[in-house]
Amino acid sequence: MTAPVSNEEDLDALFERVASERVPTVQAAAPASVQAAKTVEKDTNAVVAQTGDGSPPDIFDRIGKLTRNLHDALIELGYDKAVQSAVSTLPDTRDRLAYIANLTGQAAERTLGAIETAKPVQEQMQKQATELSAKWDRLLAGNMSLDEFKSLALHTNRFLHAIPGHTEHTNNQLLEIMMAQDFHDLTGQVIKKIVDLAQRLEGQLLQLLLETSATQQGGQPVDVNMNLNGPVISADGRTDVVTSQEQVDDLLGSLGF
Amino acid sequence: MSADLKFLVVDDFSTMRRIVRNLLKEIGYTNVDEAEDGAAALGKLKSAKFDFVVSDINMPNMNGLEFLRQVRADEQFKDLPVLLVTAEAKREDIINAAQCGASGYIVKPFTKATLEEKLVKIIEKMKQ
Repeated sequence: MTAPVSNEEDLDALFERVASERVPTVQAAAPASVQAAKTVEKDTNAVVAQTGDGSPPDIFDRIGKLTRNLHDALIELGYDKAVQSAVSTLPDTRDRLAYIANLTGQAAERTLGAIETAKPVQEQMQKQATELSAKWDRLLAGNMSLDEFKSLALHTNRFLHAIPGHTEHTNNQLLEIMMAQDFHDLTGQVIKKIVDLAQRLEGQLLQLLLETSATQQGGQPVDVNMNLNGPVISADGRTDVVTSQEQVDDLLGSLGF
Repeated sequence: MSADLKFLVVDDFSTMRRIVRNLLKEIGYTNVDEAEDGAAALGKLKSAKFDFVVSDINMPNMNGLEFLRQVRADEQFKDLPVLLVTAEAKREDIINAAQCGASGYIVKPFTKATLEEKLVKIIEKMKQ
């Protein structure tokens, strides 16, 4: 297995070394070492074995037998491998989703942090400029003593000298905000992978369901539309979601709020 | 520094192309064109003269490594600097890129300082 490179110096050293040894015609073969997880089978066996020791025999025996039956049925139908590979992708998917949550969270923090740093500087500049220009207006209107004018010239000079520092500071925060957007590329790549995984998983489970439920009719459909579902991923063809604040306000208004 | 170099930025995410374009501008390079994958980039390289390529690896259609191989296979581009900027952080990816003839390798997420440092290094090598 290859480990991700975290240390930047390491990476540079590695790159330089390999680049200097490069033979243009060499093509490195990429070894695809995919480890098939066998946890499902192990877990099932473990459950069957454990229910034997000292627990009330009846219900656990039955669960054990049911599990064994399901396990055998899956093997018989040839779905054991499919389900195993589907299940083995789940921890990976969990990690990927956690990565996305982490990266988007960091990006939001970085952006807000940069804005909070830049805003006071902007506000201070605005305030000083307003004060100075009011004084200059007074001067141009002829309402200023010589002493006041001298003080104004000094302040204006000081203000102008401070501006490049302030704007550089703000510029750096704008750059920081821009760099924080790199999460979109990184999460986008991961999301594409998760969508592929979900499609495969869905296909395998659907096929399994079709094969095994052919003789069993009825059964309550599971209501997946519970509340607190988070953001609406796709509002197309749905009448049960709102897509704008206007719609929210209209809905609340129609209910008398 | 020769600030009139013409850059080609290759990435399938428009946000990342914009980030790289803006960083290049900050560093002092304003002559930048973009391509969304290796195939489009090859087309642009053949229709106009570029001095420097900054490319992603993981892209649909033609990925960055295949793009790099084709660039290096062409006599007129064999010395064209190609800096890879990618999220691929596995050792074998880095080794592969170096063997394919990459001029540099930056792992995302990266900073302006990192990009600038690699650019300067590669451009200095170009002059030799």
